[in-house]
Amino acid sequence: MKRQGKLKDEWIVGGHRFSSRLLMGTGKFQDAETMVEAVLASGTQIVTVALRRVGRIPQEDDMLGPLRRLEGITLMPNTSGARNASEAIRAARLGRELSGSPFVKVEIHPNPHHLMPDPIETFEAARILAAEGFVVMPYMPADPVLAKRLEDVGCASLMPLGSAIGSGRGLATTEMLRLILRDARIPVIVDAGLRSPSEAAAALEMGCAAVLVNSAVAASGDPIAMAAAFAQAVEAGRNANLAGLMPRGGGTALATSPLTAFLSVEGQ
Amino acid sequence: MKLTVNGEAYEAKRAESVTALLEEMGFGGRAVVVVLNDEVIPASTRSTCVLREGDCVDLFRLVGGG
Repeated sequence: MKRQGKLKDEWIVGGHRFSSRLLMGTGKFQDAETMVEAVLASGTQIVTVALRRVGRIPQEDDMLGPLRRLEGITLMPNTSGARNASEAIRAARLGRELSGSPFVKVEIHPNPHHLMPDPIETFEAARILAAEGFVVMPYMPADPVLAKRLEDVGCASLMPLGSAIGSGRGLATTEMLRLILRDARIPVIVDAGLRSPSEAAAALEMGCAAVLVNSAVAASGDPIAMAAAFAQAVEAGRNANLAGLMPRGGGTALATSPLTAFLSVEGQ
Repeated sequence: MKLTVNGEAYEAKRAESVTALLEEMGFGGRAVVVVLNDEVIPASTRSTCVLREGDCVDLFRLVGGG
C-alpha cells in the first residue's frame, strides 16, 4: 500500500509556504528565555507579536530581540488594542515597519469583557490592508458568511475563534467551523480558546490548515514541554485528516473480531 | 525645544534630527518605529528628518502578544 508522503505536506498562505501547522503567540510568558525555548520546541514558523507605545524610560525586557535571531521564523504583528478599523490599519502599518513582515493578524475586539472580534470593523480593515498588499490573516467570529466575505476581499487566511481569547474553553464553535471549512478556498486556522493538544488535533482532523495557540502554552505547567506536545498533536491531527477517518457508525456495534464461536474452526 | 513625546510634554536638548532625539532618550539602536505628527518616519530617513517646535512624536515597539 502506498503511504502518504509527509515531505511535501506544506500549506501556502499569501504565497508563502510553511510546513509547521502550529502558529505561536509570544504573550504571557514569564520571561524571554522560556518564550524562545517554547517557540523552538513547537517547531513553529509563524509567531505573533504585538505593538505598544514605548515608556519614557527604555525597558530592558526586550523579549523579541532573541526571536529575531532565530532562523526561519516569520513575525506576524497583530493589531491588538485597536478598537476600530482605522486604528487597526495604523497598527498594521507600524507593525510592518518594525517587523519587516507583510503578515498581519487583524484583531479588533472593542469589548474587554469577552474580547469577541468586531466583524464589521475587522472586515473593513481587512479589505483595505489586503488592497495595500498585506498578507491579511483576520481573527474573526466563526461565521461562514463573514468568512466568505473576508475571502472575497483578498484575505490570505481565515482565523475563526474556537472560544474566547485566553478562556481555554476549547473548540466551542465546531459546527460553524465545519461550515467555514466546507466552502473556504484559503487556509482556515483556529485561533483562540484552545487549551489542550487534543483540541488542536481535532481542529486539524476536521480539515483546518493550522492552529494558533498562546495561553495554552504560556500558562501551562511547563510551557516548553507543552509546546512540544502541541507540535505532536497538530502532526497527528493532520495525518489523520490525510488518512481519512472511518465512516461513523449508526449506533449499533460492528465487531472487529470474527463473531463465530471461539472454538469453531477458522473459515468454516 | 518643546515636543510632545508619547502624549506627554518633553523638553528636548537635542532635536536636530529624529536620530538625535532617540539617542538623547536612550532609544538609540533599539527597534522602535517613529511616528511624527501621525506620519511614520522610515528608519532610513531618521537622521535627516528635522524636528520643529511643537512636534508630536510617538515611539512604538514590538512586544510579546498572541
